[in-house]
Amino acid sequence: MSLTITCPICGKRNGYEFRFGGEDRGPRPDEKGMSPQEWCDYVHNRANIAGVQKEWWCHRDGCGSWFTIRRDTVTNLEIEN
Amino acid sequence: MNRLTQLPTLRINPAKTLPFTYREKKYQGMSGDTVAVALYSNGVRIFSKSTRYHRPRGLYSLDGECGNCLMEVDGLPNIQAETSLLRGGMTINPQNIKSFEKDSGPDKVDPAGFDYQKFHKPYKMWPYFLKRIRNAAGLGVVSPSFRMKGLFDEQYLNAEVCVIGGGPAGILAALAAAEQGLRVILLEARPWLGGCSDYRSAEYTPGVALYSRARELAKAVEDTPNVRVFSHTFMTGLYADNHVTAFQIGAQGDHFNERYMEIRAESVIAATGCIERPLLFENNDLPGIMQASCAHRLARTYGLLPGERAIFSVGHDLGIEAAIDLSDLGLPILCVADCRPDVQDPRLIKELTERGIPFMPGWVVSKAEGGKSLEKVTLTTIEGIRHHAVECDTLVASADLTPAAGPLFMSGAKMEYDFHTGFFLPGQLPPKVHAAGRLIGLYDPFSIEASGHLAGLNAAKDCGASVDALLKTAQKEIGRLPGPARGSKWMLPPSVSLNRDIVEKIFICLDEDTTVKHIDQAYNMGFDTVELMKRFTGAGTGPGQGGISGHNLPLVISRYHSDSVMPTLPGTVRPPLVPSFLATYSGRSRDMVKRTPLHESGKAAGALFQRERVWKHARYFSDDFTCREEIENVRGNVGVTDVSALGKFRIFGPDAVNALQRVYVGNMSDIPVGKVRYSAMCNEDGRLIDLGVVTKRGEEDYYFTTTADRADSAMEWIRYHTRYDQWNFHIVNLTDAFAAINLAGPNSRELLRKITDADISGDAFPFMACRTFALRRETSRDSETSNVSDISAIPVRVMRLGFVGELSYEIHAPASLAESLWDLLMEAGRDFGIRPFGSEALDALRLEKGHVIIGRESETRTTLHDLGLGFLWDEEHAGISTVGVPPLKFTRYQTGRLRLVGFKTEDPSRAPRDGSIIVEKTIRGYVCTARYSFTLKEAIGLALVESRLAKKGTRLQIFEDGMKKDERLYATVVSTPFLRSVDG
Ligand SMILES: [Zn+2]
Repeated sequence: MSLTITCPICGKRNGYEFRFGGEDRGPRPDEKGMSPQEWCDYVHNRANIAGVQKEWWCHRDGCGSWFTIRRDTVTNLEIEN
Repeated sequence: MNRLTQLPTLRINPAKTLPFTYREKKYQGMSGDTVAVALYSNGVRIFSKSTRYHRPRGLYSLDGECGNCLMEVDGLPNIQAETSLLRGGMTINPQNIKSFEKDSGPDKVDPAGFDYQKFHKPYKMWPYFLKRIRNAAGLGVVSPSFRMKGLFDEQYLNAEVCVIGGGPAGILAALAAAEQGLRVILLEARPWLGGCSDYRSAEYTPGVALYSRARELAKAVEDTPNVRVFSHTFMTGLYADNHVTAFQIGAQGDHFNERYMEIRAESVIAATGCIERPLLFENNDLPGIMQASCAHRLARTYGLLPGERAIFSVGHDLGIEAAIDLSDLGLPILCVADCRPDVQDPRLIKELTERGIPFMPGWVVSKAEGGKSLEKVTLTTIEGIRHHAVECDTLVASADLTPAAGPLFMSGAKMEYDFHTGFFLPGQLPPKVHAAGRLIGLYDPFSIEASGHLAGLNAAKDCGASVDALLKTAQKEIGRLPGPARGSKWMLPPSVSLNRDIVEKIFICLDEDTTVKHIDQAYNMGFDTVELMKRFTGAGTGPGQGGISGHNLPLVISRYHSDSVMPTLPGTVRPPLVPSFLATYSGRSRDMVKRTPLHESGKAAGALFQRERVWKHARYFSDDFTCREEIENVRGNVGVTDVSALGKFRIFGPDAVNALQRVYVGNMSDIPVGKVRYSAMCNEDGRLIDLGVVTKRGEEDYYFTTTADRADSAMEWIRYHTRYDQWNFHIVNLTDAFAAINLAGPNSRELLRKITDADISGDAFPFMACRTFALRRETSRDSETSNVSDISAIPVRVMRLGFVGELSYEIHAPASLAESLWDLLMEAGRDFGIRPFGSEALDALRLEKGHVIIGRESETRTTLHDLGLGFLWDEEHAGISTVGVPPLKFTRYQTGRLRLVGFKTEDPSRAPRDGSIIVEKTIRGYVCTARYSFTLKEAIGLALVESRLAKKGTRLQIFEDGMKKDERLYATVVSTPFLRSVDG
């Protein structure tokens, strides 16, 4: 994997050490009044943008923390803030 | 064959011979030979038969540009004989052996896309054609029982600068970057550095040959401590962020056969040089025809003269230089034709004349003839007016050089056709990627070195070195030296014109037997771009990865594009640039398996182990795989089993309870200290993902268990689902720190009584309670010397619950004390007749209690409700902020879902096999688990069925794999658990 990810605790590391946690969409939505279809959309559908996206990663083989980075999905490069 | 053994350029050790077997006969090669060279030195001229037309093919290149020399070595097919070093005792065989003896293949060449057009209808005939085609075509055969031998390693490296190519340019680049104190990695495909200078005897400076210069440079770079040199290492890919992949062939004394490598570099320099662009003419594939560097290196590197009567037809000065050198080494050369009418270096022409070799500028070979190998060639003037036939056994042919630009293509460089050199060169390179040397069209040795030096400085600049002054000098220096040489644009012999019938057997791609005529036919069918042409004709898709056709194919196609003078670009280059074993990619592939702290105890007790995911579980404790005695002993007496694989966690802090409530569907807010709460985790689909228990150990301090499968991901799950909350809690994975033993059966309490002082009566330690106490030997307990007894005491956390049903205790203890605990229980239980039981008995026992195993009785479609576990959801406390609750609401009354039901078979002795389907016209569900229950004396099972079949009393028809069409096993839906609790 050519991707490198910068963990806020451990620094820049090989992408193999991390698990993807999906695009950053904010806290869980308020389900009140939500239809099953809307819920299904929240659970399964993603914006899937071509460009820079803010997303969650877990340093699974490291410190175990969840954090966000910005990554260009076209070049598969992390964008420094 | 006599070999030249005194050349200073040799890379073989003539004193050391290596025996090998070829087609069941014994031969000898020399240490340092490649497989192909060893065969050639023993007179082998036909190395393979082509995949499609079974034409004989010989040694054409030495770097694996085509599949001509794919052979079977030690039972392994498709070994590239050109680049594989000979080892003593090798067994070598040609491939396509069936046709090997026959003279030649069919005389007629099929039209382009023959298979695509002819064999697709009628469809029912396809299997017939498939068999015929498979028999006729293809390369080696893999035996299904073949086991890959050898050690395949992997290595992950970091460096500031990675240089690809260890010729003069690459070495100079590495040295320039290293002088700036940077860490440099230098990759070279051949087993030694030096590139194309390694075998050239031409002058570098007066009195110094190029090969001496190359050796001097190689030593310099090898002696530089901050340059790591990897020779015999093939670069395979260049990815985003300058991530380079490669693999290295182990040398004598290395601990690996091949090693996969991934290199992260700040800056990358490609200095991969050139290969040769093949000359296209009739029968250009006959054995005896080879590239100039192939002939030159055979002599200079391996001490072998390629033949006895040679003709040269070249289009570059290196080809003329090869002719001069080979003539000096003793190869009789009849003439040297050059498709360029002029621009040759006059010094070279003078040297030819001095040796009496006729030089024919403006002439080119147009046709070769011969049976099994070359016998005669026809030379023609480039206008096609005059012809001249010569008998010979060797034809050294190449139109020009062509850059080995794979790394540049993969870097995303914008490649353009350059009219001066006739090369595809990088118009613009991406940031932090540089190119140097012959790869960018340079010809002069000093220019090549200077360009390497400049690239090294540029790479150093990428890494933050202050090299501006040095860069200025280097640029000035390169400006003084000769630039790229003018290349030959030669493509096809004059007899081949687009307006007339094209000669059939001009092979543009040797691997796929694609001819120029195929390209013509395909173009006329509308395949007018390189990418389409490749796919339709196969050109460039073979094992040589476009090494032969990569440059000529776009040139030939461009001839049809009358609207543009700019040649079309070559096809997309994809990794791996060089074929390798899958074994190399898989690396060490260690089988990672976890053993519980009780592994040895189980083994001593006779356990038969089985792998289940990462864990090795004790599955049976006897060779009776029904586990009858293990099961009956639990139900009637007392048994122990190792459940250490369960996930075990501590979570504490002010927000621990909130975090638990986020993921558990049960009420987490009111668990009293000393009680156990059985609960479930669901995912956002409402699907059950985990079952376990939560205990409260103190204020804001909890201990919980998960299934073995979730032990790995539970922490990640909890942290993920609380990631926006800024909650204050800590979580510790204690899975490996604690062992767990399930003590089960009606006598389990009596057994425990013998080894603890704690009050464990039914009232003091009820079902679903949790206690912490110590277990110790009876004798030490009786002893008055309490100090001694304390040493032998084992602190345990005991929960009165169990997967197998009452009466049962789950005993957790520090992993380091696990074996002592096991021994203590076994010793105390000896009078009862305690027995260990394995995971298979556990499975049957839990089935009697109707407990589900996630992934067996549940699947991706089943929610908590479907499994009959809806009661675990506390709607009041596990509200919408609990993961999985919204879909639990949505699916609560939903019909048409799968339901988990218990069933008993009508034939009580016959349990269906797990996974059997439940049918009623069509499939209505399936059996998850079914066993004969020794306790109930009948067959019971759990099945997922359509909800309308879930009502108690419904008759289920079960179809087992292997049954006759109308055969069925019948069962009736019953309520669960099958076995009611007998409270103790
Ligand atoms: Zn980290």
